[in-house]
Amino acid sequence: MKKAYKIGIYDDEEMFISSIKSLQHKEFKIYDVFTPYPVHEVFHLLKLKSRLPTAAYFFGLFAIIAVLAFLYYTSVINWPIVYGGKPFNSFPSFIVVTIVITIFTVTIASLAAFSARSKLIPGRDNTIFDHRATDDKFVIVVNTDTLDDSGSDQIEALMKEQGAVEVLDKEFENVIA
Amino acid sequence: MYNRKIRGPLVEGNKTLSQISKEILSPMETAPGLWWYITFGISSIAAIFGFYAIFITVSRGIGTWGVNNSVGWGWEIVNFVWWIGIGHAGTAFSIFLLILRQRWRTSINRAAEAMTVIAVMMAALFPALHMGRVWLAFYIFPYPNTRGPLWVNFNSPLFWDFIAITAYLLISFSFWYLGMLPDFATIRDRTKSKIKKAIYGFFGMGWTGSGRHWIRFESLSFILGGIAAVLVVSVHSIVSTDFAVGIEPGWHTTLFPPYFVVGAIFSGFAMVMTLMVIVRKIYKLTDYITDNHMDAIARILVFISLIMGTAYSTEIFIAWYSGNEYEMFTFFRNRITGDFTIQFWGMIFCNALIPQLFWFRKVRRSWIGLLAVSLLINLGMWFERFNIVVTSLSKDFLPSNWVSYNPTYIEIGVYLGTLGLFTAGILLFFRYIPIMAVSEVKSVVNIGSKNDD
Repeated sequence: MKKAYKIGIYDDEEMFISSIKSLQHKEFKIYDVFTPYPVHEVFHLLKLKSRLPTAAYFFGLFAIIAVLAFLYYTSVINWPIVYGGKPFNSFPSFIVVTIVITIFTVTIASLAAFSARSKLIPGRDNTIFDHRATDDKFVIVVNTDTLDDSGSDQIEALMKEQGAVEVLDKEFENVIA
Repeated sequence: MYNRKIRGPLVEGNKTLSQISKEILSPMETAPGLWWYITFGISSIAAIFGFYAIFITVSRGIGTWGVNNSVGWGWEIVNFVWWIGIGHAGTAFSIFLLILRQRWRTSINRAAEAMTVIAVMMAALFPALHMGRVWLAFYIFPYPNTRGPLWVNFNSPLFWDFIAITAYLLISFSFWYLGMLPDFATIRDRTKSKIKKAIYGFFGMGWTGSGRHWIRFESLSFILGGIAAVLVVSVHSIVSTDFAVGIEPGWHTTLFPPYFVVGAIFSGFAMVMTLMVIVRKIYKLTDYITDNHMDAIARILVFISLIMGTAYSTEIFIAWYSGNEYEMFTFFRNRITGDFTIQFWGMIFCNALIPQLFWFRKVRRSWIGLLAVSLLINLGMWFERFNIVVTSLSKDFLPSNWVSYNPTYIEIGVYLGTLGLFTAGILLFFRYIPIMAVSEVKSVVNIGSKNDD
């Protein structure tokens, strides 16, 4: 089933933000916004949050335990060798390997989490609502399926009022995002 | 907080956002000039010579090098440490300045990271070749094997080195690639060529610039930046322990880790400066890499140069203060005077003295001054590594071990080859990847002017 979207396009970051505010004030649900660079105010307005730091912490915790366990297993249980009279479990010299492998694991695992969560995978064709959003335009997308005609007219008027340079109506079959 | 009134705008010329995409991406959209083909040709010839030298090394063994029983580490280790040092700049530059929230990094970090990735690849080549039988290099992986299983020595800095460099290469690459996603999407959405759209669309991974993408992108950048900062410091510390755990006079010192890390950042920043001077000149991107940017790098260099000077004096002082005759001999009879005076004084001159010219505003503002000093620093850093590796090994505790060391043309060939590959890599980078992080430059264009942070 095709879904209808109202797409407001802005030249200016401030007009774009005030437009989001006024749309939210009238309690219209914003589907998504697209910007050429990260705009921090948008994160607050749309209440976007990332749980990646928490995930990264647990990746790190897992890696530290796994690496130390591996080193203990290889050096104490599986094939103990005396190097220069040091104990088998020579913890201080295990620290370096642990730090490096932990950093490595956190990086790879966070990247994988980012890629999976944001659905950013090589060759993926996510729906692009307006091609100019990666260049110089700020774009607000509102899903108008559940709204009646007066509702979507009101959105258009609001967007124009706040300085949208263009307001487009587009329909998309299957939105990939 | 960026004070625009005092420090000037980060991007000059009141650019519009689409102008920024257009100007930064223009080197990719227009055919490169004749200089590009000539430089690429020369560097390819150097690379071919390098491949020949590598072929000889692999097929006949490292007996074709000038290294011997006493000087077991020659040019290869000098060049390895030199390249790793250069490879520190990108990450040091983009990550330290990212977590310190220095927004002026935006127009330089991409090139610095590209340099890192290529330089680390060049560096990794040397220890691999030094193993002699490269095809058995996988023995260094700690994998369950049929020899017991016998594990690698997890207490050895040489093993730490291997994992640190592998991790560093992969992490630098990931960080570099992550930053390119929005730019690839920009190219995909702007280009009219179908092939380009398909290629950059594939590598752009379907980036749309949605709010959800951006917040995760930023948070991931900080996670990677935060932990990779630890890695930057640890990689060269580990390289330095390769030396510091040895008992050779001149190596056995606790000063080595900070001394190496600072030296690495020093040579890396110098290489970034060399590159930036050239990029500014050729691509006329002075509005993005402003005089203030170059000034900032020059100030960092003069500061680091003072640290280097202190480290050199500390080494010499401790050699004298320890009263250890071997240390005294190495520093006073083998470096300051003796067989290796050229390398020693070259190092002092290029690293500690010449950068002091950056105290003068005139030098910081002249491109010839910047280029000359940055090239001299890189030469000086090469001398430093030569000093550490060769002087200590050539004359150790027993005079019967004393030998001289001269590189063979094979060793020189490998080095020239890496220089050629590096230059060729950088040239390809100029041609096929946006030289600046377009989206990041856009985010700082109005910084400090309105109600911005």
